[in-house]
Amino acid sequence: MTAAVRRAGLGGLGLGLALPVVLVSIWEAAGRAGLVPQGILPAPSLVAEAWWAWAFADPGMGLNPYLGTWGETVLFSARRVFAGFACAILIGVPMGIMIGWNRLVAGAVDPLIQSLRPIPITAWLPFAIAVFGIRDAGAVFLIALGAFFPIVVNSTAGARDVPRNLIRAARMMGANERQLLLRVVLPAALPNIFTGMRLGLGIAWTAVIVAEIVAVKSGLGYVLWDAYYVGRMDVVIADMASIGIAGFLSDRVLVALSGRVLHWKQAVRA
Amino acid sequence: MTEAVAIRGLRKVFEGRAGAVEALAAIDMTLAEGEFACILGPSGCGKSTLLNVIAGFEAPTAGTAEVFGMPVSAPGPDRAVVFQEASLFPWLSVRDNVTFGPRMLGRPKDETEVLARRFLDLVGLAGFEHHLPDQLSGGMKQRVGIARCLILNPRVYLMDEPFGALDAQTRMQMQELLTHVWDEARGTVLFITHDIDEAIFLADTVYVMTARPGRMRSRIVIDLPRPRSIELLTDPRFNALRAEILRQIREEASKAMAAIAAEERARR
Ligand SMILES: Nc1ncnc2c1ncn2[C@@H]1O[C@H](COP(=O)(O)OP(=O)(O)OP(=O)(O)O)[C@@H](O)[C@H]1O
Ligand SMILES: [Mg+2]
Repeated sequence: MTAAVRRAGLGGLGLGLALPVVLVSIWEAAGRAGLVPQGILPAPSLVAEAWWAWAFADPGMGLNPYLGTWGETVLFSARRVFAGFACAILIGVPMGIMIGWNRLVAGAVDPLIQSLRPIPITAWLPFAIAVFGIRDAGAVFLIALGAFFPIVVNSTAGARDVPRNLIRAARMMGANERQLLLRVVLPAALPNIFTGMRLGLGIAWTAVIVAEIVAVKSGLGYVLWDAYYVGRMDVVIADMASIGIAGFLSDRVLVALSGRVLHWKQAVRA
Repeated sequence: MTEAVAIRGLRKVFEGRAGAVEALAAIDMTLAEGEFACILGPSGCGKSTLLNVIAGFEAPTAGTAEVFGMPVSAPGPDRAVVFQEASLFPWLSVRDNVTFGPRMLGRPKDETEVLARRFLDLVGLAGFEHHLPDQLSGGMKQRVGIARCLILNPRVYLMDEPFGALDAQTRMQMQELLTHVWDEARGTVLFITHDIDEAIFLADTVYVMTARPGRMRSRIVIDLPRPRSIELLTDPRFNALRAEILRQIREEASKAMAAIAAEERARR
């Protein structure tokens, strides 16, 4: 049994941890041996120390922004990602389904979407600041826009590829147009929609960092750039790691959610 | 007797990028109420097209299809369809697949549940209510496909090779099941098949279609006694009917082959 367990999960996890552990050890050793300048690449132990202080230290008079502010900083970014991502879903999913379902809507809307899609979100920054100013709304707009495209494109594909006989079956059982969309097209498109949401969430985290570097004065992106300016590379690295963890965890939440919603797919695979 | 289905001068042409395909030339047929009709014909002769027009999935190019005097304009629960690949909703349990129609139609819930149980019993799926379609065998899926039609209490059943994808053993079981179900539910049936034995075993009347563009070639009355059982397959009357239908099908099949060869030659 132990061998099977090791092969299936724990062994894999151990193997996956080995490479980072080795790299971090080399990095630490190089730092202590004075091989890398600590002002540019501080050793992991120093990063951990700074991170700890950033997270748990008493802010005191509030003069040092890197004492005890980690939690609120993460929350600022997470809230923006959540708001922007929610907007992207609320607009992208219904729009994608209508495009995939109705040829008229596709003809009217799809060309516009396809021509806006190649514009990277970074190119939208001046526009966002001009319209929304240095405020949350600009960041949320950028996040929503970035996440919108993969969601709308995948929802479209999902709605367009519903097997024709499922539609026919629903019609012959008396479903009207609204029931058809809600009871057949939407559930049939859900696997694609979740794929789009996962891609969109990744872009949302990219967008929030970009937006916070340029367009707002709080959150992980703002701290990242601010810490760099004042030469706190230990905080920069702790910040990067925080972004990675936040992105990873939010993706896990989405995967868990899709596993619940798409239980009918899982049940068959198991 | 009332005319359940009346097809008059039905023609169907598909306009495709590769040109127009005339699937049905001029179909005339009427099914009496309660008639179990099987349609046989070479592949591509327009059998599915005919069924799809009656179901309301395809609009005719010319001619009319009427069901109990009403011209067909759209699909509806008065004409239940059993598809070849079951076409169940994979995200719904067996029970929810069966109750889908009544739920769409806003029928009372408790009544629907009782009916669902009754029809799942009838098709031999009691105890599988909470399974998902993909956890069922092909034959079981097709039983769900039949049960979800029965619960609609339709006036006409349209079945397009419903057992075509099943192995011989399962197919025979499903044929017996269907005759058994039909004894209970009644209704008018239009059943498409490639299998001559299946057609004779199930039908009151067998319609043989010509090669494409499809017309009705002949109507053969199967006056074998009901209820029918597997023993019938060795009955001399059964064999005589089979020989006659086989002869006609062969003729049409060779015409179809000749037509394809001619098309090939014309293309070169
Ligand atoms: N949507 C469509 N567009 C273009 N041509 C079509 C379409 N549907 C069917 N056809 C053509 O019409 C003809 C009749 O098709 P149909 O599916 O009705 O035949 P069938 O008798 O059911 O064949 P089979 O026994 O193989 O199921 C075929 O030549 C087919 O290629
Ligand atoms: Mg067919």
